[in-house]
Amino acid sequence: MMRMQNPRIDVSVATNYCRAGKPHIWVHGLFLAVLSASLMLSPVLAHGQAADAPPVAASDVLQAQVQLVVGGQSIRNNSKGTLSVVGNSLQLEADGKKVSVEASSILDISTDKDSRQDITGTAHLAAQAIPYGGSRVLSLFSHEIDILTVEFRDGNDAYHGAVFAMAKGKAAQFRKQLVALGAKTTAPLAGQDHK
Amino acid sequence: MKHHSRRVNSRVFPVVLSCTLFLLAGHLMGQQSSSESKGPQKFSASSIQIEAPDAGNVPLPPEFRIAVYENLILQIEKTGKFQHVYRSGDKDAVNAPDLVTLRTTARAFTEGSQKKREVTTVMGATSLTVNVRITDRAGQSIVDRDIKGKVVLMGENLGATYDFSKKVAKIIRDTF
Repeated sequence: MMRMQNPRIDVSVATNYCRAGKPHIWVHGLFLAVLSASLMLSPVLAHGQAADAPPVAASDVLQAQVQLVVGGQSIRNNSKGTLSVVGNSLQLEADGKKVSVEASSILDISTDKDSRQDITGTAHLAAQAIPYGGSRVLSLFSHEIDILTVEFRDGNDAYHGAVFAMAKGKAAQFRKQLVALGAKTTAPLAGQDHK
Repeated sequence: MKHHSRRVNSRVFPVVLSCTLFLLAGHLMGQQSSSESKGPQKFSASSIQIEAPDAGNVPLPPEFRIAVYENLILQIEKTGKFQHVYRSGDKDAVNAPDLVTLRTTARAFTEGSQKKREVTTVMGATSLTVNVRITDRAGQSIVDRDIKGKVVLMGENLGATYDFSKKVAKIIRDTF
């Protein structure tokens, strides 16, 4: 019984404290309460939104920013876009267009390494104006990239190929996942990425 | 009288000579232009099928093999010489009436380095030599040549395949 009475006392004390001529503290407390409540609820809301999204596990979607070197059909060569493995297909999205290839129609998939200059395009052209061969020094700055080559047949049995350049280490992931989805490959998976 | 005929001759002779020279020059020019217009023999075909490149015994990386194939298709389509450019294995090519087939076999390949090319300007060239063979339906050879593609100074290594395909497109323009 004693324990039941204690909360009453606490409330009255709190009320009295508020009425004791310090309203700014009461406002401060209210603000903190609202803030903490919103912080507590936010993960719940985020979780709720995620639950509305299509049920695709993060591990199922492999994605990378790539440069299409050649073979994008309706997409122009050297376009930059997003390459992803969605469901059972390899999908490239660039220039507002989408091209996808079923993993089962891939005849061969291979990876290789190459390098690209760090200074390219207009800056590279402008660098040619540097006297005493200064542009040659700039050519020393380059980074390694991965090359992914995909060979496949379309619905009419016509043979196609596509070459993608992407960040180092990404091509092997694509290859592994596509092979797991039914793509064929001539080179062995273990000890791949020769050169 | 004798004096008069001499005077006439002296006037007529230059006219006749100039006419003769003029006609001779015209005849020679005509001959030259007719021999020019003959040129190399032209063939006609409404469609072409590009077969997948054969690496042969050359260690040609897959990206180069695919870049050769895809660049060839692009450049041959650009020539506008054929109504249809079929890919290897395309079922529709079976019904094409006057189809010619283009086959490529790698003969040599040297992979250079873009960095070396741009730093030294004399080293690191990438080059590939590919045999190009175009045959008609009967298997009669129309073109059989080794074409070299290279990138010597600026650009990526795969640029050699673009250079090669541009050269093949020129041969197509000259042949069809």
